Amino acid sequence: MSKVNTVLGTIPAEELGLVAIHEHIGYGMPGSELDTTWWKTPEERYAETVPKLRAFHEYGGGTFVDATGICNGRDVDYYKSLSAKTGVHIVACTGFVGGDTALPHFARASVDYLAKVFIHEISVGIGTTGSRAGVIKVGVSRGGRMTDLDKRIYRAAARAAIQTGAPVLTHLAIDAENAIAIFQEEGLPLDRVLFGHVDDGVNAENTRDTWIAEQGGRVGFDTFGYETELEDPPFWARPRQERLDHFLRFLNAGHLDKALAGADANCSPLGWAGVKGHTVNYIFEDLIPDLRKAGLEEDAIRTIFVDNPATFLTLSA
Amino acid sequence: MIYPLSVDVSAAVATTVHETVTTVLGPVPAHELGVTAVHEALLSVVPGAQFAPDIAIDRAEIFEVLAAKLRDFREHGGRTIVDSTGMFHGRDVNLYEALSRATGVHIIASTGMGPEEMLGGYFLTPQTNPPTPWPAEKFAELFRKEITEGMVVPRVERRGPAGLVTTTADPNGMTPTEESLFRGAARAALDTGVPLSIRYGADALHDLGIVLDEGLPAGRVLVGGLDRADADGAALEVAKRGAFVGLDHVGLNDHPNYINDAQRTSLVMELVNAGHSHRIILSSNAIGVAKGLPEYHLPFSHVLSTFVPFLKQQGLSDEDAHRILVDNTRELLTHS
Repeated sequence: MSKVNTVLGTIPAEELGLVAIHEHIGYGMPGSELDTTWWKTPEERYAETVPKLRAFHEYGGGTFVDATGICNGRDVDYYKSLSAKTGVHIVACTGFVGGDTALPHFARASVDYLAKVFIHEISVGIGTTGSRAGVIKVGVSRGGRMTDLDKRIYRAAARAAIQTGAPVLTHLAIDAENAIAIFQEEGLPLDRVLFGHVDDGVNAENTRDTWIAEQGGRVGFDTFGYETELEDPPFWARPRQERLDHFLRFLNAGHLDKALAGADANCSPLGWAGVKGHTVNYIFEDLIPDLRKAGLEEDAIRTIFVDNPATFLTLSA
Repeated sequence: MIYPLSVDVSAAVATTVHETVTTVLGPVPAHELGVTAVHEALLSVVPGAQFAPDIAIDRAEIFEVLAAKLRDFREHGGRTIVDSTGMFHGRDVNLYEALSRATGVHIIASTGMGPEEMLGGYFLTPQTNPPTPWPAEKFAELFRKEITEGMVVPRVERRGPAGLVTTTADPNGMTPTEESLFRGAARAALDTGVPLSIRYGADALHDLGIVLDEGLPAGRVLVGGLDRADADGAALEVAKRGAFVGLDHVGLNDHPNYINDAQRTSLVMELVNAGHSHRIILSSNAIGVAKGLPEYHLPFSHVLSTFVPFLKQQGLSDEDAHRILVDNTRELLTHS
């Protein structure tokens, strides 16, 4: 039986449909909740979010994977209501975006404790919500090198992945040698790991995407839409054509079976202004048309957005 | 967007000149404070512990425990307690309002943060390139608004204003971000008239110097932790500079990093004999309810019911005892 944990319960992988693999309902750095600059009323949050999810659903989107870590404003009760009312499956994560977004209680914790937290959230539930996490988020702190805390979180994630069968999804794939060493030491098969953000503007040059794929890891081109052509691009933006060419090069090198793609957009950002004009629906409005224009077959598009995510998200234990 | 306030802030500001103190239920005339514990924690939650699956946070149970401790404090003559944990260590303004109404104890809540290790990534590695930590002025603005516009219930609303700003430095020495916190906290205190409570890092006089450098009068500052084993004469020097001396781990007798109550007694008498009785603040840093850190169930009444009687046996006059328990705390907490 193929099972995936969504916020509304377990579903068969066959029901996932087209998957946005690395997205955010709303992201904020820990502590941003103290700064009223970014506050929105619930009315505003729903008003910003529901139309995007409705459009995603109408375009044919099936599943939205929320990669917002434990301390980044993850709000599972809210996701449940969004999912129930829009018909979009939402997969919530356990874990942390990076060591620098883990609050002191977790930053001080041992690998063993962190693994227990992740396992609990995957197999029992997140807080009092009753919802189980479907994926484990880990990541590299700002600075481009894994910190000791990042490494502890990766190691805990590996152990939790082995025990629960949940996949691991990374924020940044820079310093992948260290990450892969940890996964290998713990015995986690690398096809249970999606090395994300290989296409981001700051780190792409130094990210060894094909090497990761050759080791057996899955590779996420999942910051599509953060473009220098935007009205007010963020510092991690990149020229549109350059990112697309990068992705096509990766596919043409024979790594289609390792490729996943997403937009990393916020429906309604929590602790920052967000990026005007960028939504999850970039996948339908820009990315898939661009891929077709570049000559990619429908089968390949299906592999990237449906088949690869289904295999990845299926609990394997 | 307007966030409704439960307490009329304009009233608090308007009556500042009439010697008021800001409690969670609104401004209170300073003379009503009575015996006050200045360095205590009501609900203390290590940031992140609220998300831990192995830590239960049951509000009814927390309320019951805290209410019992506050009633004990009141029965021993305590009237006012300051939750000096700042804005990001479990502060729960709604809970404190209900507790104050239920027990009759005045509760003063604090804004501020620290040490750096306790901060969220929003302040340390912001989404900018490079991720430069927050400067003093941004901290000042964050804290100031908690005093002028009300304390935040995160992403929901502002409640009543904070009555104190607090911050802390790393015991191994103040980090650059902690210097920003200290300067920001000092500016917020200076601009609003609420007092500043600092828990020093490695060097009490250095850390006091940082906040005085912002132009804050020494009489608006409480330096906590001066009963640390490594404080080494700093208490007298802090008093000489005109700041309040926090001997604020009263009741802690078996900790290698702190002196014990017998030594605290000697220190109190030394300060009194040197003419500094008007600078002494006694408190216990007790924790009402702890989540994610060890419980510390010393009664909030310990200073009042055990330590001060002992001080009197050692020769502290009634007048000085009253000064320490009532007058000094009132002077510190009254808006300037």
